[in-house]
Amino acid sequence: MTGSAQALAAQATLSATGALKLSWLLLAFPLFGAAVLLLGGRRTDRWGHLLGVAMPVAAFVYGVIAFFTLLGESDRSRDLHLYSWIPVARFQVSVGLLTDQLSICFVLLITGVGSLIIIYSVGYLWHDADRRRFFGYMNLFVAAMLLLVLADNYLVLYVGWEGVGLASYLLIGFWQFKNSAAVAAKKAFVVNRVGDAGLSLAIMLMFAEFGTMSFTGVFRGVGSAGSGVTLALGLLLLLGACGKSAQVPLQSWLLDAMEGPTPVSALIHAATMVTAGVYLLVRSNPILALAPGARLAVAVVGTITLLVGGIIASAKDDIKKSLAGSTMSQIGYMTLGAGLGPAGYVFAIALLLSHGFYKAGLFLGAGSVMHGMNDEVNMRRYGGLSNVLPVTYVTFGLAYLAISGIPPFSGFFAKDPIIEADFGQHGAAGKVAGVCALIGAGITAFYMTRMMFMTWYGRRRWEEHAASGEPHETAEPLAGGSVQGAHGSAEEYHPHESPPVMTGPMVVLAIGSVGAGAFLIINHRLQKFLAPVVGAPPNTHGFFTAPGIAATALAVAGIALGWWIYGRVPVPATAPAGGPLTVAARKDLYGDALNESLLMRPGQWLTRLSVYFDNRDIDGLVNTIAAAVGGTSGRLRRMQTGFVRSYALSMLAGAAVLVALLLAVRL
Amino acid sequence: MTGTAAPAALAAHATLAASAPGAISAPPIEYSQLGPMLVVFGAAIVGVLVEAFAPRPARRGTQLALSLGGLAAAFVWTVVIAASRQVFANGSPGHTAIGGAVGVDRPTLFIQGTIVVLAFISVLLIGDTRFSPFVAQAAAPPGATAEQEGLAAGAMHTEIFPLTLFAVGGMMLFPAANDLLTMFVALEVLSLPLYLLCGLARRRRLLSHEAAMKYFLLGAFSSAFFLFGIAMLYGFSGSVSLAAIASTAASNTSNSTLLFAGIALTGLGLLFKIGAVPFHSWKPDVYQGAPTPVTALMASCTVVSAFGALLRVFYVAFGNLTWDWRPALWVIAVLTMVVGAVIAITQTDVKRLLAYSSIAHAGFVLTGVLAVSTAGLSSALFYLVAYGFTTVGAFAVITLVRDPGGEADHLSRWAGLGRRSPVVAGIFAFFLLAFAGIPLTSGFTGKFAVFQAAIASGETALVIVGVLSSAIAAFFYVRVIVLMFFSDPVPDGPEVVLPNVFSGTAVGVGAAVTLLLGIAPQPVLSLASHAANQLFVG
Amino acid sequence: MTGVLAAGTNTDSVAVETVFWILAVVAVAAALAMILVRRAVHCAIMLAVVMLCLATMYAMQGAPFLAFVQIIVYTGAVLMLFLFVIMLIGITAADSIVETIKGQRLAAGLAAIGLLVLLALGIGHAAIGPAAPPSPKYGSGNLTGIATLIFTTYVFPFEVTGALLITAALGAMVLAHRERIAPRPTQRDLAARRLASGQVVGDPPPGIYALHDSADRPALLPDGSPAASSVSSVLNPRTGTEPPQVVRPGEKPQLEAADGGEREPAPSAGSGRAES
Repeated sequence: MTGSAQALAAQATLSATGALKLSWLLLAFPLFGAAVLLLGGRRTDRWGHLLGVAMPVAAFVYGVIAFFTLLGESDRSRDLHLYSWIPVARFQVSVGLLTDQLSICFVLLITGVGSLIIIYSVGYLWHDADRRRFFGYMNLFVAAMLLLVLADNYLVLYVGWEGVGLASYLLIGFWQFKNSAAVAAKKAFVVNRVGDAGLSLAIMLMFAEFGTMSFTGVFRGVGSAGSGVTLALGLLLLLGACGKSAQVPLQSWLLDAMEGPTPVSALIHAATMVTAGVYLLVRSNPILALAPGARLAVAVVGTITLLVGGIIASAKDDIKKSLAGSTMSQIGYMTLGAGLGPAGYVFAIALLLSHGFYKAGLFLGAGSVMHGMNDEVNMRRYGGLSNVLPVTYVTFGLAYLAISGIPPFSGFFAKDPIIEADFGQHGAAGKVAGVCALIGAGITAFYMTRMMFMTWYGRRRWEEHAASGEPHETAEPLAGGSVQGAHGSAEEYHPHESPPVMTGPMVVLAIGSVGAGAFLIINHRLQKFLAPVVGAPPNTHGFFTAPGIAATALAVAGIALGWWIYGRVPVPATAPAGGPLTVAARKDLYGDALNESLLMRPGQWLTRLSVYFDNRDIDGLVNTIAAAVGGTSGRLRRMQTGFVRSYALSMLAGAAVLVALLLAVRL
Repeated sequence: MTGTAAPAALAAHATLAASAPGAISAPPIEYSQLGPMLVVFGAAIVGVLVEAFAPRPARRGTQLALSLGGLAAAFVWTVVIAASRQVFANGSPGHTAIGGAVGVDRPTLFIQGTIVVLAFISVLLIGDTRFSPFVAQAAAPPGATAEQEGLAAGAMHTEIFPLTLFAVGGMMLFPAANDLLTMFVALEVLSLPLYLLCGLARRRRLLSHEAAMKYFLLGAFSSAFFLFGIAMLYGFSGSVSLAAIASTAASNTSNSTLLFAGIALTGLGLLFKIGAVPFHSWKPDVYQGAPTPVTALMASCTVVSAFGALLRVFYVAFGNLTWDWRPALWVIAVLTMVVGAVIAITQTDVKRLLAYSSIAHAGFVLTGVLAVSTAGLSSALFYLVAYGFTTVGAFAVITLVRDPGGEADHLSRWAGLGRRSPVVAGIFAFFLLAFAGIPLTSGFTGKFAVFQAAIASGETALVIVGVLSSAIAAFFYVRVIVLMFFSDPVPDGPEVVLPNVFSGTAVGVGAAVTLLLGIAPQPVLSLASHAANQLFVG
Repeated sequence: MTGVLAAGTNTDSVAVETVFWILAVVAVAAALAMILVRRAVHCAIMLAVVMLCLATMYAMQGAPFLAFVQIIVYTGAVLMLFLFVIMLIGITAADSIVETIKGQRLAAGLAAIGLLVLLALGIGHAAIGPAAPPSPKYGSGNLTGIATLIFTTYVFPFEVTGALLITAALGAMVLAHRERIAPRPTQRDLAARRLASGQVVGDPPPGIYALHDSADRPALLPDGSPAASSVSSVLNPRTGTEPPQVVRPGEKPQLEAADGGEREPAPSAGSGRAES
C-alpha cells in the first residue's frame, strides 16, 4: 500500500503543452460570464441568459478537446503553471491548474451536466425578473467548481472550495424574499464553515509539516511523515468532506438547501458540489493510503450516511427533500467507496459520474412536475401524472431504474462494485459495511418506487385536492411563471408538459442514466483511465457475483415493497401518523435537534451575550462584540476630546516617553 | 551631467576649501535625476500663472490637464531614472544629487513612483466637479450670502490644483532628502498646502475649518520637535547630513545622549506624519473634516511619503543603532496597532473609521520597518503600495454615497446599502476586506509580507500583537459589511450616484490594484524587493 | 555651554560671557512672557525682544551678517508687520482662558517638566566640545560662508523654499480674497435698478425732532402717519408721538408729563427731513 502511494507521488507531472496549455480557458469562460452578468446590471437582462448558457457550453467544448488530447498522450498528467502567488521567503505557492485523468472526469461532468441544467433553467426561470442574476451565480459556481477540481495544490483547491460555498449560499438564498430560503442559505453557510475549518486546518498542518501545499509536494512528504500526522490529516480532510458532501454529522443543511430553485438543487446539491468531498478524498488518496484509521472513519461515515439518507428519503412527502435524502445516501456510497482505498476509489468516481446523470435527471424531472403543478412539492397531491407529462415521465422513469440498481442501467454497474469491494475487504468491518450497503440498496429501491407510484400512478389526487379547496404548499413562488402560486390560493392545477428547452436536457440526461454506468465499468474503461491517479483495484470482479445478485434481489424486493404499500392501495392525500421510525425520519432523524442542542444553543448564547454588549453601547450599530475590547475602545475614544490642546498634551507626553525610552538605553 | 558623482556634503566642503578663498564653484546639478520633482514643482508654478492670467472658465480644464500631465510626466521620468544604467552603473546603490541633498536610489524612486500614481488618482477625485466637495468661496464666512452666491454661480477655487501639486512635490522630496535640513523644508512644503486644503470643504465648513486649524497647530508643534531633534543631531555630529550622522554615530560614543534625544525628537516629527500613537490624535478629526479627495490624498500619498522619510532616516542615519531605537519604536508600533484597531470599533462615522484604520495600518507598516532588513524594507514598500491604492479607492467610494446635504458619512446611513446598490456596496466591502487582510486581496499579501519579514528578524512578539490587532480590526470591517448587506435599508437612505469618468477611474483602479495585488502580487513584490535590495544611498 | 564662546579672545571672554548670560536670561524670560501675556501687542513686543537677543548673540559669535539680517528682516519687517496688523484690526484678549478640561494643566505641566528634565539630563550629560573655529574654507567672512552653503550644499532646499513661499501667498489669496462673482454694478446699473423699483428717491431718514431725534423714531408723512420705511429694519420703530420720558434722579415719572408740557411742541414732519 505504502509502495503504491510512493509510486503515485512519484508520478512526474509534466508541464502542459498544446491544447492543455489553454486550460485556463476553462475558468475564463464562466468567470467572464459571471462578471458580465453580475456587473453588467440590467443592461444585460435581455440577452443575459444566452451568455449564461454559452459560457459553460464553451467550457464544455474545451473540456472535450482537452479530454481527447489527454487520451492521446502517453503520460496523462499535465500541470499548467499560471504564476507564483506571494513568493515570500520560504512560503512559495504557485497557482497552477492540474489537468489529469481525475480532474478531466470532473471537468466533463461539471461543464456537461452543468450546461444541460443551465439550458433547462432558461425555461424554468423564464418569468423570473431576476433571471440574469441567477445565470451570473450559476456561471460563478461553474468557475469555482472548475477551480476546485483543477487546482494543483490544496490552497487553490480551498479557494475553489470556498467559491462553490459562496455560490451555493447565494443560490440557495436566490429567492431572498422567502424567509425559509434566507434561513436555509444561512444554515448551509454555517454548517459548511465547520467542514471548511477542518479543511483549512488540514492545509495548515500540511504547510507546517511539509512546507508546501502542492499535491505533489504533500504526497511526496507524507511518506516520511509520522502516523499521527497522516491520521490527523486524514480525519481533518474527512471533516471537510463531511461538510461539503452532507455526510453525517454535518448532513442537516442539504435538506434545507432544497429551498433554492430546482436547477440549483440539481446542479449543486446533487450532481457536482456535494460530490466535492468525494473528490477531495479521492484526490488525497496517498494520504489515506497511509492512514488506515482515517480510512476506516471514512468508510464508517459513508455507511452511516447511506442508511440515514435512505431512511429520510423514505419518509419525506416533499419530492425535493426526498431526493435530497437520496443524494445523501448515494454520496454515502461514494464515501464508503473512497474509504475502501484503491479497491474503491475508481468505483466511487464511477458512481459519482453516473449519479451526476441520473440524479440531475430526477431533479430536473421533479422540477418539470413542479413547473406543471404550480410549484406543488407535496407528492401526496400528485398522482396519475404519467399521461399528462409523458416526456418527463419517461426520463424520470429511466433515471429511477438507474438509481434503483436494476441491470443494465447505470446504477447497477456503478453501485454493485462498491458493495462487492466491501465484502472483499479483510476483517469484520468490510462485511458489516457490505451488509449495510446491501440494505441500503433495498431502501433505495423502496423509496424510489414510492416516489414513482406517488407521482405518476394511481388516482389524480390533485383533482380531488383542488375540489376540496385547501390551499396548497408552495416551495417556489416564482418558478415556472406560476406567479399566482405565490399566494397559495386553492385554484385548480393544470398540469402540462414542459417546453422543449426543459425536456431536451432531461432526455440527454436520461440517455446518460441508462448508459453511463455500463460505459464506464465494462472493459474497465474508467479503471484503466484513472489508474495513474488512484491506482488499480487489487482484484477485479465479475458482475453477477453473490453480492451483486443479492443487491439486485434486494432492489427487486424494495420495489415490490414499494408497490405493496403505495401501488397496490391508493395513497392517502394526507400523511398517516406512521410509526416511530417514520416520524423520526420525517424530522430528518433529529439531525436538526442534535445540531440545535450541540451547536446552535451555545452559539445563540454567545450571540445573545454579544448583542447584550452591543445594545449597551452607543448606538448599537458598529459596536463591539466583547465588553473588554468595547469598553477599552469607549474609554480610549474619550481621550479623543476634540480639543487641540489635549491632543498637543498627548504629543508632549508621548515625546517625553519617547525620549525617556531612548535615553534609557544609554543612561 | 549625470555622470559625475556629486560629492557628499562634507566632501564638498573639502573640495571648496582647496579652491581660492571667496570663489564659489557652482555644484553640479543633476537635472535629469531631479526631473520628476522639478516637473511637479514646475507644473505647480505654471498652475499659479494660469490662476493669474487665464480667464476663469478656462482655468479648471487647464489646471486639471496641467496637473494630470505633470504627474504623468513625473511618473514616466521616475521610471526612466529607475531603468537608467548610468545612475545604477556597476551595481551602484544610487547617487546623491545636487550637493548631496537628494538621494537618488531605488527605494526612493519606488516610493516616488507610488506617490505620483496615487496623487494622479487623488487629482482625478479633486477634479470631479460634479458634486464638488470644495468650497465655492473660501473667504466667505459659512452661511453668508456670498457663499450662497458662489455656490449658485458654480464658483470653484482652481488654486486647489497648484496647491496639490506643491504638496505632492514636497512629498516626493521628503523621502529623497538626504540631509535633515532638506527633509525639514520638504516637510513644510508638503504640509502647508495640506493645511490649506483641509479647510476648504464645501459642506460642514466649520468642521473643516476646525480640522485645518488642528492640523496646522499640531503640525507646527511636531515640526518644532523635529527641528529640535535636528539641532541635537547637529550638536552631536556637526552636520545635518544623514551619512555624516551615521558615521559620527559609529565612531563617537561619548555624546550619545544628544544623539538619542535627537533620534527621539526627529522620530517624533516623522511619526506624527504617519499618525503613530500617541501622535495620532489629529488624524480622525482631520480626515473627517477635510474634503474627501484631500483625505484620500493624505491617507495615501502623505503616509507613503512619511514612511519613506522614516525609513530613510532610521535606515541610513541610525542604521547602526538598531538595537537602541528598536525598543522605543517597538512600543510605538504595538501602541499604534492596538489603539488604532480598538478605537475604530466604536466609530460611527465612516471617514473617522477609515482614519483609525489608517492608524492601525501605520502600525502594521512599522512592523516591517522594525524588521530592519532588506526583506523588511521591501515588505514595507509593498504594504504602502497596497494600502495606498485600497485607501484611495475606499475614499472614492465614499464620495459616491450621498445624502441631500453631502456625503453620507454616518454609518447608520450605510445600513442596507448592499440591497440598494449592490455593486458600489460590494466594491466597498471588497476594500474593507482588503483592509482586514483577507486572502486574495492586496491587504493579505501586504500583511503577510510584513509579518514574514518581522518574524525573520526575530520580532515574533510584535507579529503576535499584529495578528491580534488585525483580528480586532477585521471585526469592525466585517461589521460594516454586515451592516451594508444584512441590515434593512434605512428609509430615504443615501443616494448612490453613478461614478463618472473621474471617480469611476479612481474606484476602478483602486479595486483592480487591490485585486491584482491579492491574486498576482508577484510583479510588484519583486519590484519592491528589487528596489529594497540595495538600501538607501547615504 | 560656555565652550561656544571660545571663539573670542581671552581678554574678551569674561565680558562676552557676562553678556551671554544676561542675554540668555532676557531671551528666555521674554519667550516665556510671550506665551504668558494676554495682550497680543505685548506678545509681539516680547517676540521682538527675543529676536533682538538672538541677533546680539549671533553678532557675538562672529556672524554680523546673520545678526543684521535677523534685526532687519525679523525684528524690523516681520514683527513690525505683525504689530501693524494687530493694532489695525484690534485683536484684544477676548479669548477665554478658563481651562475646561479636567487635569489638563496639571498633566501638561508634568509632561513639560518631564521632557525638560530629560532633555536637560541628555544635554547636560553630553560633553560638548569647543565648536570648530570659523573655517578659513569659507573665505574671509561668514557672508561668504553662508553664500557658499546656500549656493552649493543647500541650493536645492533653498530653491524649494520658494515653493513654500508661493504656497503661502497662494494660500493667503484663497483664504482671504473674495472673488467677485458678478461684475461690479456700475452707477448706471444702480440708477436703472432704482428706477425700475419705482422708488426714485432714497428712503426717508428717521424723524429728527427737537424732542426726540433718535434713529428709531419714524418720520411722519404729510398726513401725520409714521413712515415705516424711514427706520432701519434692525430697529424697533417707536411709533408713539408722546415725548420720551426722562427720569431725573429723585423725581417720579408722572411728574415728567407736566414737565414735558413746557417744552416745544413736536415740529412738523417736513422740518425733520435731513438734507440729503
